[in-house]
Amino acid sequence: MEPFVRRSHLLVSARDGAQVDMSWRHAADAVILDLADTVPDVEKPRARANIKAAIPVAARGGAEVFVRINKELADADIIASAWPGLTGVVLTEAETAADVEEIATTLAVAEKEHGIANGSLSIIVMLDSGKGVWNIRQILTASPRICSVGLDEGRLCRHLGIVPTPAFDPFVYAKGRVIIESRAAKRQPVGISHPAGLFPHCDDAEERYRLALRSKNIGFAGVICPDPSWVEPCNRALTPSDERLEFYRETRRLFAEGIARGTAAIPYPGTTMMIDVPVDERARLTLALWERCAARDAEKQAALARLT
Amino acid sequence: MARRVRRSGLTMPINTPRFVDRSWTRNCDYLNFDFEDSVPQSQKAHARTLVAHAIAQGLKGSADITLRINCAYPEADVPAAVLPGLIQINFPKAETAEQMRNLDQLITEAERVQGIRPGTIRIGANIETTLGVANSYEIASASPRIDSFSGGTGYDMSMDMGVEMFVGFDQFVYNRGEGALVAKALGLEYTGSVYVPDTSGNVGDRDLTRQRAEANRKAGLRAGGGLHPNTVEPQNVGLTPTPEEVQEAQRILAYFAQLDEQGEVEGALDGRIIDKYEAARAAELLEWSALCAQKDAHKAGAQARTKALEASGRPQA
Repeated sequence: MEPFVRRSHLLVSARDGAQVDMSWRHAADAVILDLADTVPDVEKPRARANIKAAIPVAARGGAEVFVRINKELADADIIASAWPGLTGVVLTEAETAADVEEIATTLAVAEKEHGIANGSLSIIVMLDSGKGVWNIRQILTASPRICSVGLDEGRLCRHLGIVPTPAFDPFVYAKGRVIIESRAAKRQPVGISHPAGLFPHCDDAEERYRLALRSKNIGFAGVICPDPSWVEPCNRALTPSDERLEFYRETRRLFAEGIARGTAAIPYPGTTMMIDVPVDERARLTLALWERCAARDAEKQAALARLT
Repeated sequence: MARRVRRSGLTMPINTPRFVDRSWTRNCDYLNFDFEDSVPQSQKAHARTLVAHAIAQGLKGSADITLRINCAYPEADVPAAVLPGLIQINFPKAETAEQMRNLDQLITEAERVQGIRPGTIRIGANIETTLGVANSYEIASASPRIDSFSGGTGYDMSMDMGVEMFVGFDQFVYNRGEGALVAKALGLEYTGSVYVPDTSGNVGDRDLTRQRAEANRKAGLRAGGGLHPNTVEPQNVGLTPTPEEVQEAQRILAYFAQLDEQGEVEGALDGRIIDKYEAARAAELLEWSALCAQKDAHKAGAQARTKALEASGRPQA
């Protein structure tokens, strides 16, 4: 899978017309239209009927659009969602590779019926059971459609009988497992550091940024934002900061000079740091990530410019 | 395999003579000569010709000699690295059991060519990527030459996880857990470390190194290593039991022997419960203390002999 930038995934209920209408205004990299937990069963048919019109609305600001579906209702949810403009689905309740294979097959059928390129719809897996977390490797590798994986912490608490408290993180191990296994399988881990995964309400903008930065530094590549106030801090925290760019460009320049002289360990002037192969590699990777983030931001800017 | 003492060790580019030629003066328990990241691509072939000299330099101080090869071409590096005096090949960025089996075969062949007793050379599998952590168990169990193991931390690991290095909390907590469980499940020595906050990233900070070594010793961990000569003494001292700890361990063992004679399995010494687990911990500490003393004597003897030789002006190895 080509590297992609999806720092923020704004979650909005597909039944809430006002939320959907506003969803493109927050500069999220992705918008998730929810057909699952925020839509009562009796409302599902109406919410599904809204999806086709909601996709281009959510995409107005250049966001990729996903629909969160129920595993049990996947057939109806997917056929209602697979319209051009959709990037993929967010799957909950997956516990085995077979669960993913079933969804992949349904997506293939829907692609064919709706004239969407074969294999183009992605899957974001949100694990929400002990079995799902344990089986993460078989789940992740069950389909090339899987682009990202995370924990649905609220559901996982209910499943495991955990009463959440802000004081400690019940999912240190589960998050570690998600981050390691997904990156090992070249997929992106999505999630946020405690307590925001279970207590997303936060009025303090600084604190939102601090938690978003911490999410990046435990290894997450993107965040599911339950509220628009999380989008900006997540976009900012998951983009390499401008002040580091000069440092990394200088790192690469000094290392190239050193290599030309026949040494691969070069002191960085004014610091105790030695530049060697991995330091140079980090500089390269960080600059490349910054380029991708900048390109993604430019796409979103261009989409907004087309509206005026 | 005999238990090794490796409180301190320096990793250094094998192609930098000013490091290699002074390596024996550093008083490290082990030395790790590098073919990998500290050696530029253009020097790799030259580096392979320097092993015999590097081993001879390191042995002047009685350090255990290990060598880090490149993961991409072990078939080129191993025959050059395996010479008498080497005790371990370190394989960086280990990711699969297949790599370990391949490395084991290459070492077996190189031992044969060099006339080294089969099975002498150990493998150190360095876990530095997310795939390596994910495959920890398979990697650690892939060769009997692997007798110790730890989880993935450090610079390469942080890069693969997309995290910054010195953020003031442990980004590698899961990796440490996996490494410790795998090591213990397979009966290997766990050579990992506890997390000590570090927001500076200064590789030559004596105080921080000492603090970290003390924290590890108190957690029962025994292994260290570093890049800067300043790390050596703080680790030699910090990972060696103090005289008070040795005395306390002797007291615990004596008390437990007394309990045993009385047909008891546990009792309280100064308000602390002593049982067979506490006794085993005390016995391990005494064993470790004796091994440290032995290692220190070996190193001091070798360094003194080398200095005397140099003073007498006779030709060096």
